[in-house]
Amino acid sequence: MALSGIAIYKLLPKTNCKDCGFPTCLAFAMKLSQQGIKLSACPHVSEESKQALDASARPPIQLVTVGTGERAFSVGNEVVMFRHEKTFYNPTALAVRVKTSQSREAIAATVAAVDAYSVERVGIHMRLNAIAIDDAKGDPAAFASCVEQVSSITKMPLILISKDPRVMEAGLSKVAGRRSLIYAANSENVAQMAALAAKHGSPLAVQGDGLSQVAEVVEQANKAGVEELVLDPGARGFGNTLNTFTQIRRLALKSKERLVGYPVIAFPGEGSISPEEEALLASQLVIKYAGIVVLDHFAPHHAYPMLTLRQNIYTDPQKPIQVEPGVYPIRDPGRDSPVLVTTNFSLTYFSVAGEVDGSGMPAWLVICDTDGLSVLTSWAAGKFDGAKIAKTVTTHEVGSRVDHRFLLIPGHVAVLSGEIEEELPGWSVLVGPREGIDIPGYLKNVWTARLQGAKK
Amino acid sequence: MPAILVPTEKWAGKVREVTLGGDSRKKVVVGGETTLPFLHFDGVIPHAPAIAIDVEDVAPQNWSPVLGAVWGDVMREGLAAWARKAVEAGADMVALTLRSADPDMGNTGPAEAVEAVKKVLAAVDVPLIVYGPGIAAKDNEVLVAVSDAFAGKRLALGLCEDKNYRTIVATCMANGHIVIANSPIDINLAKQLNILITDMDMPGDRILMDPTTGALGYGLEYTYSVMERLRVAALLGDSMTAMPMILNPGREGWRFKEAKTRDGVPTQWGDLEGRGIAWETTTAIAQLQAGADILVMRHPKAVGLVKRAIASLMATNY
Amino acid sequence: MNSSSRCTVTLLPDKRQRMVPEGTLLQDAVRQAGIDADIPCGGQGRCGRCLVRIEKGQVWRRPNAHLTSQQIALGWALSCQTEVRGDVTALLFPEKVRERFVVSGTASLKVPRRVRPPRDPVISQYLLELPPPSLKDNLADLERLRRALASASGVKNLEIDLSVARGIHQTLVEGSWKATAVVEHALSGGSSRLVALRPGDAVGTSLGLAIDIGTTTVKVVLVNLRSGRIIDTASAFNRQMSCGEDVISRIVYSQRGDGVRHLQRLVRETINGLIAEVCALHELEPEHIDHVVVAGNTIMIHLFLSMNSRPIREEPYAPMATSFPAVSAPEVGLRVNPRASVYCVPAVAAYVGGDITAGILGSRLHQREGLALFMDVGTNGEIVLGNSDWMAACACSAGPAFEGAGVECGMRATNGAIEDVTINYHTLEPKVRVIGGGAPQGICGSGMLAALAEMFVTGIVDKVGRVNTAIQRGQESGRRRIVDTSHGPAYVLAWASESDTGQDILLTEVDINNLIRTKGAIYAGVGVMLRGLGIDARDIDAVLIGGAFGQHLNVEKSIIVGLLPDLPWDKFHFLGNTAALGAYQVLISRRMRRKVEEIAHRVTYLELVADNSFMNEFISNLFLPHTDIDEFPSVKEVLAQASLNNTQAVAVGERGGR
Repeated sequence: MALSGIAIYKLLPKTNCKDCGFPTCLAFAMKLSQQGIKLSACPHVSEESKQALDASARPPIQLVTVGTGERAFSVGNEVVMFRHEKTFYNPTALAVRVKTSQSREAIAATVAAVDAYSVERVGIHMRLNAIAIDDAKGDPAAFASCVEQVSSITKMPLILISKDPRVMEAGLSKVAGRRSLIYAANSENVAQMAALAAKHGSPLAVQGDGLSQVAEVVEQANKAGVEELVLDPGARGFGNTLNTFTQIRRLALKSKERLVGYPVIAFPGEGSISPEEEALLASQLVIKYAGIVVLDHFAPHHAYPMLTLRQNIYTDPQKPIQVEPGVYPIRDPGRDSPVLVTTNFSLTYFSVAGEVDGSGMPAWLVICDTDGLSVLTSWAAGKFDGAKIAKTVTTHEVGSRVDHRFLLIPGHVAVLSGEIEEELPGWSVLVGPREGIDIPGYLKNVWTARLQGAKK
Repeated sequence: MPAILVPTEKWAGKVREVTLGGDSRKKVVVGGETTLPFLHFDGVIPHAPAIAIDVEDVAPQNWSPVLGAVWGDVMREGLAAWARKAVEAGADMVALTLRSADPDMGNTGPAEAVEAVKKVLAAVDVPLIVYGPGIAAKDNEVLVAVSDAFAGKRLALGLCEDKNYRTIVATCMANGHIVIANSPIDINLAKQLNILITDMDMPGDRILMDPTTGALGYGLEYTYSVMERLRVAALLGDSMTAMPMILNPGREGWRFKEAKTRDGVPTQWGDLEGRGIAWETTTAIAQLQAGADILVMRHPKAVGLVKRAIASLMATNY
Repeated sequence: MNSSSRCTVTLLPDKRQRMVPEGTLLQDAVRQAGIDADIPCGGQGRCGRCLVRIEKGQVWRRPNAHLTSQQIALGWALSCQTEVRGDVTALLFPEKVRERFVVSGTASLKVPRRVRPPRDPVISQYLLELPPPSLKDNLADLERLRRALASASGVKNLEIDLSVARGIHQTLVEGSWKATAVVEHALSGGSSRLVALRPGDAVGTSLGLAIDIGTTTVKVVLVNLRSGRIIDTASAFNRQMSCGEDVISRIVYSQRGDGVRHLQRLVRETINGLIAEVCALHELEPEHIDHVVVAGNTIMIHLFLSMNSRPIREEPYAPMATSFPAVSAPEVGLRVNPRASVYCVPAVAAYVGGDITAGILGSRLHQREGLALFMDVGTNGEIVLGNSDWMAACACSAGPAFEGAGVECGMRATNGAIEDVTINYHTLEPKVRVIGGGAPQGICGSGMLAALAEMFVTGIVDKVGRVNTAIQRGQESGRRRIVDTSHGPAYVLAWASESDTGQDILLTEVDINNLIRTKGAIYAGVGVMLRGLGIDARDIDAVLIGGAFGQHLNVEKSIIVGLLPDLPWDKFHFLGNTAALGAYQVLISRRMRRKVEEIAHRVTYLELVADNSFMNEFISNLFLPHTDIDEFPSVKEVLAQASLNNTQAVAVGERGGR
């Protein structure tokens, strides 16, 4: 575990000199404990302290980068067992495997499709990360030719799969300098594979039957000077991968076991009875600790949910829980239904939506983007103001959904009435109740009367 | 060979065991874990998570066409047929929603609710979960009637929220049912509701908690961590978070356009049927990993996939 | 229990005696002895009014959070929680003693009344006797003055304003070549300044003014700068109140047209009004106020100095300044000696202002060995944690409920406010204490907290603050105290016929939620800070409570509702208005001024809005006392005791019925 802010503070000079860019040594210490900055930002730290702090700051799981250029990806560097403890940093890389036994056409089609696949969600373009090329024939020439073919189609990082160092060398020679992942070194070939990794500057996967065997191979790879490793302890299937990968992460984080302090690679297609099952297992692996997942099937209807899951799991859970801004219909509202405006803090949304729903009256709920802050907090921070409300109402075309022109705002921000009416000509602001609990009464009495008045 | 000793976690706490059904009917027991989901090397997991399948007392209007394709015939045939087909599809339990009590769906009353429950109980012998239409006042009305009419059947009744917990808890206590405590995606609110319910002297082993399902892409990341935190707290010994969790990947997974819309969506979304099923199963697998004890699901293929996954996760001989 | 063994209970001072079976509650013995006991809580061990001292004999005390171990060592006991275990002699305290015990959790303003003259004053006064000029010694008046001052005080390089210089001759003549020079000492480097020259021997007439500009209340402390003695204090509502109740509203107001200047004028008028009032009362000249120190939150100081405060409201919440240039009184429009300088105590950050820096100084947190938690509870709750080694601070927006705003029957802590409440468990009837003793007009912050604690412990509200309308107790006492209002169910503290307003004084469910949010926000600040720094609450040595509200806070009830951490009572210290206290210290001592600047420089500000942990803490605090009851072990005990008493009461009731 990382040191607490106070523990780090005790090792700092305590001069509050501000040279690190923070107002006090304690502020710097706290940032350091959250691993948001490097110790080197403090120019005055003593040698002893540096050593003490370096030991606690060293990542327990090695960061491994595969590929080069824009599509290179990194995995590892994780610091927690559960995302709520901090966050998961480097999203699981998803690869699709082709085999030298397939036809060139089939390989070309798969690689092109995977390369091109990109799907957008909440403004983020999500993509697959790598192509794995499996030496199904044990033939260096065939492998080299396949690697050459794939590398001519895509700039995605490659995972080269063969147990035979000769085959591996043939493949690597076609993609020199691209930091392809070598899969895999085992207790038999580790010397040669490590030498290849060192020669090509490639990360190396280590394969073994169980953790002890993997650790043994890792030790030898380390001795050969290879530090960027990926582990395959041989686990397959839902239960086995979950238990094994949990043990690896726990050993790395809690026991500081350097020999398994590396990201892991998984092959969910091996042992699955259908592409559906493979996809489901891949999803579990995204959640539970896989660094790289190599799929045997690619289908958009599986890739999309899988990538969405990865996005969900790797979002920072320390950010306030937010609701997507927009217009939410409650109980099938119509053109006479009231329009209520509030913020996108999830509990504000739940409370307002719940009260409206409970009132039995259909309504439109307009949710503004306030960075997940509640009504009063966001107002205080200038994030819930006339301009923001007007923009949300305009962007989501609230006017086209109703015949009236009334906006109901929370009673706590009654002061915004003028601003909103200035920004939204034609609309009138009604100041609603301060508390959610009063919404049903307000809708039944005030709103109904108001709407009838307006109609007359 | 370097010796690698796997550190085990010995937790002080244990998830409560809750028994549904029984009496002259089949029973299902959930909970009882002394470890995080499926980590057999740390503790014991006496019961596999159970799958319930959703049925409603009127044919739903706006379900996904993919669900319509598999359930359409039995939906029209009636509640009994639907419940039977659900059990054939692998359901360990049936989850009945009294939709017709919704003021917009017929506004039926206690008598119809009791009738619907009676039909399902007669058609299948698995335990039954009964949901009201989701409007506090109507929920109270129909659930109290069902609770009274089927005293001793150990039904799970919900949803019970902090707004109306007194009524539903009181009736479940009086008639020996299980209460489903629902709170909006927040560890503290979930725990608070459990405390309020147990403060009424409801035994802790008659509460299921529903921390609210956020579907894949629609709040799953929040639900996931709230569940995980609840479960970790329970295993650390907090008895007020130690209730088994019930989630609704079926209802939530099939609610959005990703599982409903065939045309006019990006081609990268792929085929609707596969996508919809994956949306449900992906939501479900995440919830299983976060500690779900009961999953209420909808598509038979999704149920099949998830049941196979659970079987693998429960096995200890790999 | 052996019912045959009977014990003699002797009650002092009247020496009344009574034979009772062993195991009898002392309180029952008192009642049987014919002594009328007024027990507002109904024998639940909460109100403390049945306090006695055991002089002799064996008793058994039920575990109770009300008494400290020290008090128990002195023999104190609550008779409703104490069983007789032999012949016992007990002293019944007179009403006054019990009353004091009941309010032991409150404290009065702690600005010292008697002080030693400061050794390193900011302002010194020197009596100068100048030789009148002659042909032999025709040095200019000004140089003559410098020469005399240099020999009297050692002050060289004295800065003398033209405005003083112009009056020199006349002053010297008027005082027959005797005059009193008022010198403001240089703080570091720089030159000292002559701020006044008064004819004759005017030593001791120089005044200083410490000002605490609060969002709601402005307080001034008038000080004799020679003796360091406080002459008087006075306070008034900040006239800016008409432009918004909280700091954000003020910022919003300041952004409109002439807003900044208007707000500056309002606060200046508030202060000048107080100066005129307090000087008139003591027949002193405002002109003799030679130095002014101002403490206030960052926004108040910005507005006082006519600085734009807008950036404070928006990310990244950076104020224009945290340390402020010294200004002269006329620049900010204060009606004092026009050559007096006005020093604003530096702030830490946008939401941790000079009032807190001064508060730390006043509370001496910065000198403590052990870990201390300083809380300033007001519309904003500011929290400082630390010791002589390090200090961290945060602020949370608590809302004005505790100051009486936003609560249906809320009012400030003045005459007519209900400040304490005890509710009888069996009858649900309240007993209230009203400031000034008259009929109640409303309820102030401490009253609300007490009411909330009592309603919670007696089961009137549940742990989320929902009123239990189905509660069975209290039916027989006539009118039901739980009523329906347009804001949901409510509990009536005083009927219309008993109140000064002719209306029921009540707390509605909405009010209760409001209070729970307020206490939740403040305690969340504490929680986030402790967790953020990795510190256990039990490691806190002292809780220092400042702010106007801190004077009236009842520790026990504040812990019951989860506003204050559950620590032994003797760790809580009520310091009153620490901002005014700190400003006063800075006013009279250069050393203190250097100290306060050092403090501002040393405190680390923690931004609570930055992540999720505040919200998480906050929601777990929207519960009584807290979602995690193990954080409040003493409350857990109180609740267990309440339910035990409940069962016993039922048993007693059943017996009586037969």
